[in-house]
Amino acid sequence: MPSLTIDGKAVDVPVGTTIINAAEKIGIEIPRYCYHKHLSVAGNCRMCLVEVEKFPKLQTACSTVVTDGMVVRTDTEKVRKAVTGVLEFLLINHPIDCPICDQAGECELQNYYMKFGLHKSRFALEDKVRKKKVQDIGGQIVLDAERCILCSRCVRFLEEVTGTRELQFFRRGDHSEISVFPGRPLNNNYTGNLADICPVGALTSKDFRFKCRVWFLKAFPSVCTGCARGCNVEAFFKGDILYRYKPRVNEAVNRAWMCDFGRLEYKKANNARLLVPFVREDGREKMMSWGGLLPQVAYRLKDAVEREGPDAAAVIASPQSSNEELYLVRRIASDLLGTKNLAFTSRVPGDGFSDGFLIRGDKNPNSRGAQLLRIPGGPAFDELVVKIAAGKVRALLLFGDVLGDLTQEETAGLLSMVPFVAQAGTNEGPVSAVATAVLPIASVAERGGTFTNHAGRVQRFHAGFPPRGKAKDTIGFLTSLANRLGAGWAFDGEASVFRALAATEGPFAGMSYESIGSLGQEAKG
Amino acid sequence: MSVAFSDAGRKEFERLLARYPEKEAVILPALHLVQKEFGYVSDEAIVYIAGLLSVAPAQIEGVATFYTMYNRKPVGKYHVQVCRNLSCSLMGAEHLIGHLSRKLGIEPGETTPDGKFTLSEVECLGSCGTAPVMQVNDEYHENLTEESIDAVLDGLP
Ligand code: SF4
Ligand code: SF4
Ligand code: FES
Ligand code: FES
Repeated sequence: MPSLTIDGKAVDVPVGTTIINAAEKIGIEIPRYCYHKHLSVAGNCRMCLVEVEKFPKLQTACSTVVTDGMVVRTDTEKVRKAVTGVLEFLLINHPIDCPICDQAGECELQNYYMKFGLHKSRFALEDKVRKKKVQDIGGQIVLDAERCILCSRCVRFLEEVTGTRELQFFRRGDHSEISVFPGRPLNNNYTGNLADICPVGALTSKDFRFKCRVWFLKAFPSVCTGCARGCNVEAFFKGDILYRYKPRVNEAVNRAWMCDFGRLEYKKANNARLLVPFVREDGREKMMSWGGLLPQVAYRLKDAVEREGPDAAAVIASPQSSNEELYLVRRIASDLLGTKNLAFTSRVPGDGFSDGFLIRGDKNPNSRGAQLLRIPGGPAFDELVVKIAAGKVRALLLFGDVLGDLTQEETAGLLSMVPFVAQAGTNEGPVSAVATAVLPIASVAERGGTFTNHAGRVQRFHAGFPPRGKAKDTIGFLTSLANRLGAGWAFDGEASVFRALAATEGPFAGMSYESIGSLGQEAKG
Repeated sequence: MSVAFSDAGRKEFERLLARYPEKEAVILPALHLVQKEFGYVSDEAIVYIAGLLSVAPAQIEGVATFYTMYNRKPVGKYHVQVCRNLSCSLMGAEHLIGHLSRKLGIEPGETTPDGKFTLSEVECLGSCGTAPVMQVNDEYHENLTEESIDAVLDGLP
């Protein structure tokens, strides 16, 4: 292991480490534009210049591999002057239109300029090379060519990650410009990442631009619910509105990326939400309080069991629910109602597209969790549907907003066979359009818990803000319901449920929120 | 509009393909071939060779626009390419370009209405020792003055 000193601090790093990463290890951030941890090293921006003892010239920290006994300085006058000079060159043709730039507030050009900049331009505004602004180049991206600092991160991403190579540099010298070939817009499912990796405001998100200045947003760690990959995300919000997802680095799951579908999943927490409990009587919707509705739901389930036996009641679980929720749902069905009618399905309307990279065919975050918690899936769901269609189910507790891949009509037809259907869901959809009782529950941004991804990795998501409207945290709702069915549970939040689950469910044995941490932990089996 | 190499062009292309270890390396000679066959490098021609090489059209565009030797637009009978790089600029290239502009009645990048001349500014022609330099089609003209430029152009059929 070579050991070296950087700004007087000693550090040991594995052979092959570059100066920029060695510095990061001891908390020294060397400025960079072209360097990105998840892309190849280009060494073209010259922002990372440092002094290395015995080298006559400054070295690029991103591409210089450390050697034993190396003495590096990042804080000398010589370095400062060089970086200031590099910035001045980069800014010669930059429009400096931060007031109308969506990157402002999270722009590396702004940040480094405040640190190293000249603060007085030696170039006349009218001499700047003008390039085309506000170009829709396809996917989720808008290009402002004159803000580009030619770092080539986007080019490398499209070469090394998607292999689609839509963006390239055209022309040369100060006429160099990033663009797509005419008629060949971005054409891959990961374009949103370009806005994340572009260090400046050249590539910005069509969906997010001008929605909110970034300094008004707060963020919390979450997990994408768009498919079984469970990409780790950072969810940005203001008040009770989500504004965007950005990928959160997790080398074992999504590295630094996420897909374009998942990136828009946040909208489900904002739009067409179920926000008040209601019942449907003679085709009319009647708003209810939780206090009024919950006893009714408990009563109808119990009544069906008492009158016609446990299999007159049924529970359809959802792979959109957390492990904690699914565990409680199973216990309600098996232990309290005593019914054998418990099932879930991973099927959803749509094509089940997958790509061998991140996107999985299963469009749910927690099918694996449901399996590991022994909730019957697959054929069990189809059998339950047959029973329902035959009119054998008198009271149904249903989680989720859709019923497998059934259409609106099929859902309505099937559920009309059950006298009492209570739905616990987050969004309006085919189920809420016909359910007898609708219980609005917290969105993924409003509650916490864990999902188990396709590979068995248990990952935590967190509540960013309290549930909107009258929506309720599912753990609280399930506990009250169970207690009305005679359970005597004292669960208080998802952590307490996870402790109980880890104590009894083999695949989760020995796990805790601490051991899962922010990057997840593999379940057994 | 679809483009395709002639039989001879296609054969030459196959020969190039076999000669380089990587497809990307064929982009340069393939563009020369395009120019020889079609006179200039059209969008269609870029898409065509991108298809032949299985690379993205944007990669070819990047190469084609980096080098001034490739014409992305049709050029006149005589392509007057004046070096504007360092040595030539120090030796007065800017004035010579101005002179050519006035003489031909066109700006750099334009073609005379009769289709006889196209004027272009290009990067270093590798003849800095005899700057300022211009290239007319495949001929170099060195140590230029306004008078020698006049003599060259006026002497062209
Ligand atoms: S568009 Fe952004 S990421 Fe791409 S080269 Fe320019 S500055 Fe870099
Ligand atoms: S791959 Fe799946 S989990 Fe990842 S962002 Fe896309 S939809 Fe979400
Ligand atoms: S970060 Fe090292 S040269 Fe760009
Ligand atoms: S600078 Fe003109 S030939 Fe080199």
